[in-house]
Amino acid sequence: LCSVSLGVVGMTCGSCVQSIEQRIGSLPGVIRIKVSLEQNNATVIFDQSQHSPESLSEAIEDMGFESSLSD
Amino acid sequence: MTQKHEFEVAMTCEGCSGAVTRILNKLEDVKFEIDLPNRLVWIESDRDVAFLTDTLKKCGKEVKYNGAK
Ligand SMILES: [Cu+2]
Ligand SMILES: [Cu+2]
Repeated sequence: LCSVSLGVVGMTCGSCVQSIEQRIGSLPGVIRIKVSLEQNNATVIFDQSQHSPESLSEAIEDMGFESSLSD
Repeated sequence: MTQKHEFEVAMTCEGCSGAVTRILNKLEDVKFEIDLPNRLVWIESDRDVAFLTDTLKKCGKEVKYNGAK
């Protein structure tokens, strides 16, 4: 398993956090996701045979938030 | 023929309306308007309703089609 921290821009409240955690967290190959509104990021633990930092970032972008591969 | 469609999207905050805006901006052939307090989105497009509904659902909120306006 891999862990990555992705930048997420565009969230304004806890319900934004929840919708991202729910939708990304239910993708096959995503083991756990923790989104932080204060830090504008998402920490994702995933199975690298099904996902990459790029594909996860794209999935967040697809939901309408801006996402970047931070650090 | 381009039609104006009305959708109800369960948006609750500016994060939601911002997400819907970015999602729709990625489509090149639509014009749209968002009314956040009334949770309504109007889209002018010749794409079919099923496609537009699926596109709106990407934001993770419930979407209901209210008909052509
Ligand atoms: Cu929000
Ligand atoms: Cu919201």
